[in-house]
Amino acid sequence: MTTQRKAGIGRRSTLKFGVAGALAAPFLSHRAQAADSVNVGVILPLSGANAQFGINARNGIQLAADQVNAAGGIKSLGGAKINLIVADSTSTPTTAVNVAQRLLTQNDVVAILGAFVSTLTIAISEVTERRGIPLLTMSFADQITGRGFENIFQVVAKASVIGKAQFDDTLAIAAASGQKLERIAIMYEDTAYGTSQAGGLRTGAKNANVQVVMDEAYPLGITDITPLINKLRSSGAQAVFPVSYLNDSLLIIRAMRQQGITIPAIGGAAGYVIPDFAKGLGEYAEGVLSINLSNYDLAPSLTKAFSDRFGYFMVHEALEHAVCMSVLAQAIENAKSTDPDKLRAALHAGKFTNGWCAAMTGGAVQFDNTGLNTLSVPVMVQWRNNELVTVWPADVAKAKPVWKS
Amino acid sequence: MIGGVYAVISIGLTLVFGVMGIVNFAQAEFLMLGMFVAYYAWAWLGLDPLITAPLAFAVVFVFGMAVHHLMIRRVLKAPEVAQVFLTVGLLIVLENAALLMFGSGFKSVATSYQTSALHLGPLFISVPYLAAFLMSVACGAVLWLFLERSWFGRAMRATAQNPMAAKLMGIDSDRMHRIAFALGVGLTAFGGAVILPYLTVSPTVGDQFVVLMFTVVVLGGLGSVAGAVVGGLAVGIIQSISGLLFPIQMQNLVLFVVFIGVLAIRPEGLLGRAR
Amino acid sequence: MKPSLKYTLIALALALAIALPFGLEPRGYATRILCLVLLFAAMAQAWNIVGGLANQMSLGHAAFFGIGAYGSTILLVKYGISPWLGLLPGMAAGGVAAWLISLPTMRLRGHYFALATLAFGEVMRLVANTWGGLTGGPSGISVPFSKPGLAVFQFKEMRPYYFLMLAALLMVTAIFAGIRHSKLGYRLRAIRENPAAAEAIGVDTTRTKIIAAVISGALMAGLGTFYAQFQFFFDPDTVFSIPAISVRVAMIAIVGGVGTTIGPIVGALFLIPIEELANQTFSDQAAGLSQLVFGLLLIVVILAEPRGLLEIGRRLWRWRGRT
Repeated sequence: MTTQRKAGIGRRSTLKFGVAGALAAPFLSHRAQAADSVNVGVILPLSGANAQFGINARNGIQLAADQVNAAGGIKSLGGAKINLIVADSTSTPTTAVNVAQRLLTQNDVVAILGAFVSTLTIAISEVTERRGIPLLTMSFADQITGRGFENIFQVVAKASVIGKAQFDDTLAIAAASGQKLERIAIMYEDTAYGTSQAGGLRTGAKNANVQVVMDEAYPLGITDITPLINKLRSSGAQAVFPVSYLNDSLLIIRAMRQQGITIPAIGGAAGYVIPDFAKGLGEYAEGVLSINLSNYDLAPSLTKAFSDRFGYFMVHEALEHAVCMSVLAQAIENAKSTDPDKLRAALHAGKFTNGWCAAMTGGAVQFDNTGLNTLSVPVMVQWRNNELVTVWPADVAKAKPVWKS
Repeated sequence: MIGGVYAVISIGLTLVFGVMGIVNFAQAEFLMLGMFVAYYAWAWLGLDPLITAPLAFAVVFVFGMAVHHLMIRRVLKAPEVAQVFLTVGLLIVLENAALLMFGSGFKSVATSYQTSALHLGPLFISVPYLAAFLMSVACGAVLWLFLERSWFGRAMRATAQNPMAAKLMGIDSDRMHRIAFALGVGLTAFGGAVILPYLTVSPTVGDQFVVLMFTVVVLGGLGSVAGAVVGGLAVGIIQSISGLLFPIQMQNLVLFVVFIGVLAIRPEGLLGRAR
Repeated sequence: MKPSLKYTLIALALALAIALPFGLEPRGYATRILCLVLLFAAMAQAWNIVGGLANQMSLGHAAFFGIGAYGSTILLVKYGISPWLGLLPGMAAGGVAAWLISLPTMRLRGHYFALATLAFGEVMRLVANTWGGLTGGPSGISVPFSKPGLAVFQFKEMRPYYFLMLAALLMVTAIFAGIRHSKLGYRLRAIRENPAAAEAIGVDTTRTKIIAAVISGALMAGLGTFYAQFQFFFDPDTVFSIPAISVRVAMIAIVGGVGTTIGPIVGALFLIPIEELANQTFSDQAAGLSQLVFGLLLIVVILAEPRGLLEIGRRLWRWRGRT
C-alpha cells in the first residue's frame, strides 16, 4: 500500500513536470540572429475585421525589404539582409502585446513595424518604449506621439491634423469652384479612428466659422443606415464628411444615391481610398473625394512595382509601411549598427530621402522629438475612372478637382 | 420594414430553441455562410442574390444537418454550460474557416437596383430594403404553411410541446431535431442572401448581428415563431425611434436596455410561453 | 484522494510556481504568458463563484472587469490616486454593479440569465465608448508612464507582475474555497441541487445568489485594476470584450471543471498556452488558422467530456488507480 502511494506521487509529479516542460519549451527557445541578417518584426492584423489592411501593409513592407536585399542589403553591416518576422497581431491588444514580447524575446528584432490600428499600436508601444526598441508606424491617433515616448516613429500626420486638412482643403476646393461652404455634416464611425479624425474636422469648421449642422457618430457594425441618412437629408448640409471603413462607406454612399442626395461627399481615408470601394460602387464612386495620407500617383515609378507584383494599386497603408521599412533600413545604414541606442539616435537625427521616402508628401521623412514626421502633409484625392487621383494641394496635384455642388 | 428582415434572420434561432432547447450562439455565422453562398452565386453565375436565396437556404440546410449529426445531438443531455460552449466553439470554427477559405476582404455585389428608391411622397423607400422585406414575408408565409399544414411541421411542433408524447406517437425526435436545426440555420442563411444587396459580406459580418438576433427572439419569446416576427418588427421600430430621439451611436444601447428590461419583467417575451 | 496526498501536491505545485520565474528570463515572453495564465485563472475563479457555486452562467463578467480597470485608472489619471488605493473603489463599484444587474435577473433560468448578462456587458461597453469625457472614449486610456516601483504598481520587467498575479490567484482561490466550505456555500449547494427544497427549509434563494454575484463582481473588478497596471493601455473594446473576456473566463472555468476549486487553474494552464502556441505556429502562415485550431480543440474537449478537463483527469486517475 505504501509503495503504491509513493509510486503514485512520483508518476503524477513527473507527468506534471513533463507536461510543464513540454509546454514551456517553445517559449524558451531562442532563435538567435544569424550574423549576416537583421531581424525586423512586423506586427499587423492578419485576421479579423482589419485583415485586408494588414495584408496590404505586409505586402508593402515585403516589397520594400525585397528591394533593399536585392540592392545588396545593409552595406554598412557588410551586406546584411533584412529578415522579416511577420506575426498576426489579431484584433485584441492583449494578444498584440504578447506577440510583440515574443518577437523581442525570441527573435531579437531590432525594431518593430506596425500595427495599423491605433489601439494596437499604442498597446505595443508601451512594451517597445520600456524595452528601448524603436516602433515605426503609420497609425495616426494623436495619443501615439503625445506621450513623450522616445522610441515611437510615426511617418504620417496625426489624426487631428488630417481631419482639419480634410476640412480646410475642401473649403479651398469649393471656393475655387465658386461655392462658399457654410453648412456641413460630419458623420463618423465610433472607434478611435473616426472619433479622433472627427475632432480635427470640427476644429477646422470652427476656425472657418462654418456651421456643423449634423454631427453624428454611428456604431462601426451598423446594419441599417437609413436613420443616419434621413438626418443628413433634413439637415440641409451642403457637403458631408463621412469617416468610415469599407462596409459603412458603401452603405452611406449607396443610401445617399438612393435618396437622391447629391451633395459632395469627402471621405476620411480608410474605406474611401481602397480598390474595393470603387468595385463595390461602380459608377457611383466617380467623383467622390477623400483625404488621404499619401497616394500612389505621387511616385508612379515606385508604386508601379507594387501593382505589378500584387495586382492592385498601392493603397496608402502599403505605401506608408514601405516607407517605414525604407526609413529603418537607412537608419541602420547610418547608425552602422543595430544597437538600440544608436538606432534610436539615427532615427531621430536623420532626414531620410532614399527609397520609398521619396514617395511621401514632402519628398522625405524627418522626425521631431515626439516621433512625428513633420514633413508629411495630407493630400486630397478623387476617384476618376476607378483610379485615385491627387487633386490638392495644387503643388502636388495631378489633376484639377471636380466639385459638383 | 427592416424589422421584417430581422425577423426572418431570427426565426431560425427561435425555432432551434423551441424544438431543442438549445440556444445556438453560432447562428449568426450561418447568416454569413448564406451571404457567401449568394455572393459566389452572383460572382460565378451572375445570378441576383434574391434569386439565389433559396439556394443559400438549401446549401446551409444540408450543412446544418451535418453539423447537427456530428455535434449538436451529442450535447442535448449535457449540462447547459456545455451546450453553450459547443456553439461558441462552432462560432469560432465557422468564422475562421470562412476567413481561411474566402479571405478577409469585404465583398459586395453590384445589382441594378442597389441604389434605386421608390418615392412615395416624402418617403424614400430603398428598393433593396423593399426586396429584402418582400422576400422575408414570402419566406415567412412558406414557413407558416409548413409548420401548420405539413406533417413534418406538425411533428416538429409536437416534439417541441411534448417530446415524450411525440416519441410515443412514433415520431423520431432525433430526426425532428435534425430537421429543425437545419431548417433554422437554413432560414437564417436565406435572410443573409436577401440582405446581401445592401450590405457587404466578410467572415466577420456575423458579429454585427449576434446580439440583434438575440434581442429579437427574446423580445418576441424564445420558441415562438410568431414571436420572432413581432420581435423583429419591435426591434426595427425601437431602432428607428431611438435614432430620432438619441444620437445614433446609442441606438444599440437603447436596444440592450430594453432587452434587459424585457428579460427582467417578462422573460417569456411578448408572445412566448413560459418554459 | 487522501488529504495528506492532496496537501503534498498543493505544496509541490506552490513551490514550483514560486521557483519557476527564476528559471526564465525576467523580461521575457514566457513569463508574460504565465502572468496572463495566472490573471485569467484568477478571473475564471472569480467567475466560478457565480457560474459554479451559484450555477448561474454569466456571459457578461467583462462588465465588472472593465469597471475595475477604468475605475482605478481614471482615479490615477485625474486625481493621481495610487492604483493600490484605486483598487478599493473599483471593487466596490464592481460589487454594486453586480448587485444592480442581479436584482432583476437572478431569478431567471440558465439561458435567459446568460443573455441578460451578455446584454449588460455590452451596455457597459457602449457607456464607456460614448462617455468620452470620463473614459477617453474609443481612443482608450493609458496608465501614465512612470518609473517602476511597487508603490506605483508599475514594473519594467515581468517577474514582479508574476508574483503579484500569483498572489491574486491564491487570494481569489482562497476566497472561493472559503465560500464553498462555508454556510454560504452550503446554502448555494442546496439551491443548486433542489431549489424548491431549499426554499422550503428557509433559504432565500435569490438573496443568496445575489451575495455570490456581488463577491464575484467585486473580485473581478479588482483583477481589472491588475490588468490595467500590467497592460498600461486599454480601450472599451478590450476590457468589456465579449469574446476576449466574458466568454473566455467562462470557457476557462468550464473547460477546466466548473464549480471545482482547481478547475479554473487547470483550464487556464491548458487554454492560454495552447492558444499562444497556435498563434505562434500558425499565424504567419494563414490568417485565422490559429483561431480555427483553437475552436476545434474547444469543440473536441466539450464533446469528449462536457464536465471539463478535471473530470477527464479524475477519470484517468481512477483508471490508473485500478490497474
